[in-house]
Amino acid sequence: MVTENFIRELETIVGQSNVSVTSTGIELYSYDASLVKGNPGVVIFPADTQEVSQAVKAANKEGIDIVARGFGTNLSGGTISITQGLVICLSRFNQILGIFPESRYAVVQPGVTNMEVQQALAAVGAFYAPDPASQKVSTLGGNAGENSGGPLCLKYGVTSNHILGMEMVMADGEVLRIGGPALDPPGFDLRGLMVGSEGAFAIITELTLHTLPKTESVITMLAVYDDIQAAAQSVSKIIAAGILPNTLEMMDALVIEAVEASIPCGYPRDAAAVLVIEVEGMEVGLKEQAGQIKEICMANQCRNVKIAKNEKERDLLWQGRRGAFGAIARLAPNYLVNDATVSRSVLPKALEQIKVVADKHGFRVGNVSHAGDGNMHPLLLFDSRNPGELDRVHKAGWDIMEVSVNLGGTISGEHGIGQEKQEAMKMIFSGDDLNTQQTVKLAFDPENVLNPNKVIPLSKSPGQPLESFKPTILKRLGGISAKGVPEAIETIRAANDSGKSLIVVGANTFAHYGNPCKKDVTSVSTLAMTEIIEYDADNQFITLGAGMSLARLQEVLEENNQWLTLRPPFFNRKATIGSLAAMGTSGPERMFYGAPRDFLLGLQYIDSQGRMISTGGKVVKNVAGYDMTRLMTGSNGNLGMITEATWRLSTRPELCRAISMTGILDDCFNAALKLMNNNLFPAFMVAVPENNVPDQFPEYWKMVVGFEGLSKVVEHQVEKCSLLLSKNKLKNLGTWNYPLIDGCFKDDFNKIAKAPYVLKTSAALEKMPDLIKGIQEIPGIKAQTNQNAWLLDFGCGRIFNALDLLDTEQWTSLSHRAYSLDGHVQLEKTPKSFRLEHDVFGGSLRPEWAVMHKIKNALDPNSLFAPGRMPGR
Amino acid sequence: MDIFKNYDAIAQCNKCGFCQVSCPIFRSTGHESGVARGRLALMRGIIEDRIQWTKELEDPLFNCLGCGACTDACLADVPTADLVIKGRAEYLEKVGRKPIHKLLFEQLLPYPKRLHMAARAAALGKNSGISKVAKALGLLRILGRDFAKAENIVEKLPTKPFRGTFTPGEYQGSGESLRIGYFIGCGVDVIQQEAGQESLKILKKIGKTVTILDNCCCGLPAWTYGDIDAAQKLALKNLTAFSSQSLDVIVTDCSSCASFLKKYSQVFEDDENNQDIAKSQAPLFQDMVEFLFKNGYSTTPVKSPIVVTCHDPCHAVRGQGISRENREILKKIPGVEFREMPEADWCCGGAGSYALTHYDLSMKVLDRKMKNVASTKADFLVTSCPACMIQLSHGVRRAGLKTKVCHISEIVTGAKPEKE
Repeated sequence: MVTENFIRELETIVGQSNVSVTSTGIELYSYDASLVKGNPGVVIFPADTQEVSQAVKAANKEGIDIVARGFGTNLSGGTISITQGLVICLSRFNQILGIFPESRYAVVQPGVTNMEVQQALAAVGAFYAPDPASQKVSTLGGNAGENSGGPLCLKYGVTSNHILGMEMVMADGEVLRIGGPALDPPGFDLRGLMVGSEGAFAIITELTLHTLPKTESVITMLAVYDDIQAAAQSVSKIIAAGILPNTLEMMDALVIEAVEASIPCGYPRDAAAVLVIEVEGMEVGLKEQAGQIKEICMANQCRNVKIAKNEKERDLLWQGRRGAFGAIARLAPNYLVNDATVSRSVLPKALEQIKVVADKHGFRVGNVSHAGDGNMHPLLLFDSRNPGELDRVHKAGWDIMEVSVNLGGTISGEHGIGQEKQEAMKMIFSGDDLNTQQTVKLAFDPENVLNPNKVIPLSKSPGQPLESFKPTILKRLGGISAKGVPEAIETIRAANDSGKSLIVVGANTFAHYGNPCKKDVTSVSTLAMTEIIEYDADNQFITLGAGMSLARLQEVLEENNQWLTLRPPFFNRKATIGSLAAMGTSGPERMFYGAPRDFLLGLQYIDSQGRMISTGGKVVKNVAGYDMTRLMTGSNGNLGMITEATWRLSTRPELCRAISMTGILDDCFNAALKLMNNNLFPAFMVAVPENNVPDQFPEYWKMVVGFEGLSKVVEHQVEKCSLLLSKNKLKNLGTWNYPLIDGCFKDDFNKIAKAPYVLKTSAALEKMPDLIKGIQEIPGIKAQTNQNAWLLDFGCGRIFNALDLLDTEQWTSLSHRAYSLDGHVQLEKTPKSFRLEHDVFGGSLRPEWAVMHKIKNALDPNSLFAPGRMPGR
Repeated sequence: MDIFKNYDAIAQCNKCGFCQVSCPIFRSTGHESGVARGRLALMRGIIEDRIQWTKELEDPLFNCLGCGACTDACLADVPTADLVIKGRAEYLEKVGRKPIHKLLFEQLLPYPKRLHMAARAAALGKNSGISKVAKALGLLRILGRDFAKAENIVEKLPTKPFRGTFTPGEYQGSGESLRIGYFIGCGVDVIQQEAGQESLKILKKIGKTVTILDNCCCGLPAWTYGDIDAAQKLALKNLTAFSSQSLDVIVTDCSSCASFLKKYSQVFEDDENNQDIAKSQAPLFQDMVEFLFKNGYSTTPVKSPIVVTCHDPCHAVRGQGISRENREILKKIPGVEFREMPEADWCCGGAGSYALTHYDLSMKVLDRKMKNVASTKADFLVTSCPACMIQLSHGVRRAGLKTKVCHISEIVTGAKPEKE
């Protein structure tokens, strides 16, 4: 209960005018854009992080629950206080704090709307990829909390792929920063876990976004169909043809009718469905791509394809799509929107069955779908003023989720679980899965005060774990019955019973990785887990055992002209995809394709109690539950033994071509800055020493820039890039085609790996010169670079280099240098003697490591897995 | 008044939140009470008995500018600004009204002469400071604390009304056949008289006769305040006066008046008789901007090139759908470079007497407008509503801009730019 005293205290923290407790004030914050309603006890509007922190501490003292909220456009009841708690409205956090297009990031407050940041970025030729249809009104804090999607995520991935770091107020009121402009800090992927946590882990007070330069050109098309199945069919065929449009959006007749009634956008009123398709990229080759799409559509009973002639026509086509939800409001006072997601090839079937469900319950249904992602938005029309309709519509919504899960899909692709879909989590997760997720939540928020009683279904006895049960609908292949898994479970249980510790190994390639284990460990191997559990080439995903080597996987995929878009450094032919998932490793092409965290769709792992736990699924958009897949990815075997992983695949590029130039470091660096904020899209930008004088920091460097994709586009980009580089005083060394799987730097990495110490340092691109200087300036370090092996990964802001020696003082001072540049350090390899004495993840303790240890202790209380290997040991 | 009658329209809001994009008040406060979705939720709460009629509702109902931008952004087209007026009307009934509004709507606005007298008193007071005079008269207590802050909004008040110089009656024009009635809005009558003079020049050039009407206030201020009775009385007084004249067209150079004159029939929702009268007269009314656009006017070329931008009054762009006409007129003037400003159709925060009652909020809205004006570096900021002119002039002074605010009539006749 909110007391008078508590209100007075809040007033002293945020000021009287920023506290709302009147009955109107409460009513105004009792709703969001969903159907859930609940009265908060009190609402506050803090001005800064300190005020949020103090308010949280005050609420803790009183035992009051807390819900953070932006502009209240949530679609699953996520921003409603259902326990009459404190609502913290972050609408005053509305500043864009900085934009750094050359390092491809921006720092914003969470109350800035998605559109505001897009406009600010557009002014410097950049954009932020996630573009939820609500982007004009939804705030970035909410986008992060829900892991929002949007039309563009077909090509660029969801919000989680584009959040680099954040400042947040923890459940106890302490302020913590995680991540930042430098990619992939050591340890668990906390920011990946935070994104999509629906306000249940911490309150985000600042965000670092990953931005991209605008593309050269865009073509938007409207394909008109007389049959919705034909439209859905076209979507499948387009992707199967290896084309990746930005967006593939579908609307059905009812939505067309509503949209045309509110803003005539030129959707034919007599059509059964329309697709809004957009391709973007270099001008060269784009028209051909659009033509190819048109051909596929026409071959699939399309009535006609209209291409937007100018910006105005393009805007109009999009206005209709973006306003579809609102336009539906013309037809009825309320709608229930679902966001179930299936594999795109079963989309026609799913839509058919949804129609049956709607008819059965007596509701009109309109469909807007991110068809390319298989993400549906059936809108059920009703009037909540009619008695019983609200209950009936919820029942229909439930049935729609069942349809999706029965077809192997998930219950929520982007709107979140909140309160509306909480119970439906049981359709796809087991009791153990859900208890594990709740354990992670409680590791962040032990008193369960942040947005409590949402997302995870509640147990019959309050505060207790859920009983054990299997998912009510979803049958996951593999899992406990997959090859090699029963034996591993046996080993893990036995170790647990006897109090021993374990280390998970694959091909034993990375035995030297991480801090050494504190006690004697026995190993448990994944090598028997070599099955391909499910390979769906049409839908571009594969589920396979952790013991298969990456090299073998790429061979398998070659048969369908597909590949896993990764060239992890230091991987030999035997290294397994289990290691890849566990380490989350990525090479210089991360700047273009992303890291394992971006294309792992789901995992199964054995936890410290020997139970099989499932995370994610096999659809490309999935926000059902907390993002355990990202927590496990890169957790280095500290939380469990990954037995199988589901990966998102891509069509192989037609051509991989690199251009190289030579010059001094400053010129290479300046060229890299230019390339980063240019509408060229290199797969990587790397500099390696050109000459090699022992004991000296290399004076001349070879800058290598690669492009991958359609031949025509790659050729054009190489040409433009060559021009740009030569303008930056670099001397052209020529171009060449490189092998897809091995890439360009295998030898360079191998050379680095030969040294006793391999150092990886990271910072935003603009800070890399400082970082390099930092490495050089460390007393005595210069003389120790005999190997003189360096790889400057400009595109990802990373430096890999070889060292012969490293002492405590050097390690500490280097770490501090990196931290002061908002970067981080990690030793990928050291002699065992060094590792015994030092933490290879950094020369001093980082505050966020404490959170990692809380998670580790919660999920693996007896330190069964690799004790002592983590950052901060 | 009973908002229950509008339950369907109110329930049509499905809380998508898109109104937040375009609401100048929400953009300033970030508070749900200051946006259509919130106002509608409260009215629905009243209807469904979760919320009671209390003073708590004053802010959410009365801090709406009535600019209508939310309805533009609303795909379900919920007419929130109109619904808010209904809400205000019921509020006045159930919670009570302030004495100043009684005085204004019932005693001053229906009677041009009394308004003139009041204005003259204010003009005299202005020299010694409005707030001091108001304080002495105990008016501050009645008007509310914001009135003292607002006193500088009007820079100078003429001592004589427009109709003191140009007495109502028929004047000869140089046109061939058109019989024009010139509707004098209170703003032109009392403050923006220079604009009125230029409008009159234009009308005389086009019309065979121009009749300066002895109209009273159009009723819009009373209507937006929720005083439906007062609005009806004013409307009826005007309609009766017009019906005794034989005119081809009634032109006003106030876009707010024009939009309200055109929708007089809505004022008489339950009164078919007067509704019919209003409907029959509706085709007569024209905004000066559309009149100029239809009839053309040979514009005087400006001496040296100037940059001009325009502000769309809410009652022009959303009230009457006028946004192309003003731009076309300006672009055709030789020597004028027209530069579009961002958010030209956003409310300036003037909203009639809004600045008097909600000074701080009004200034936040105005500051946003001035940032947009400044970005154009325009010499002139042109509009067609005297109330906007007052607010915008205050804005450019506050922001220290060199941009001058003027009425479109003044640019067209060449009165602005003033000859150095």
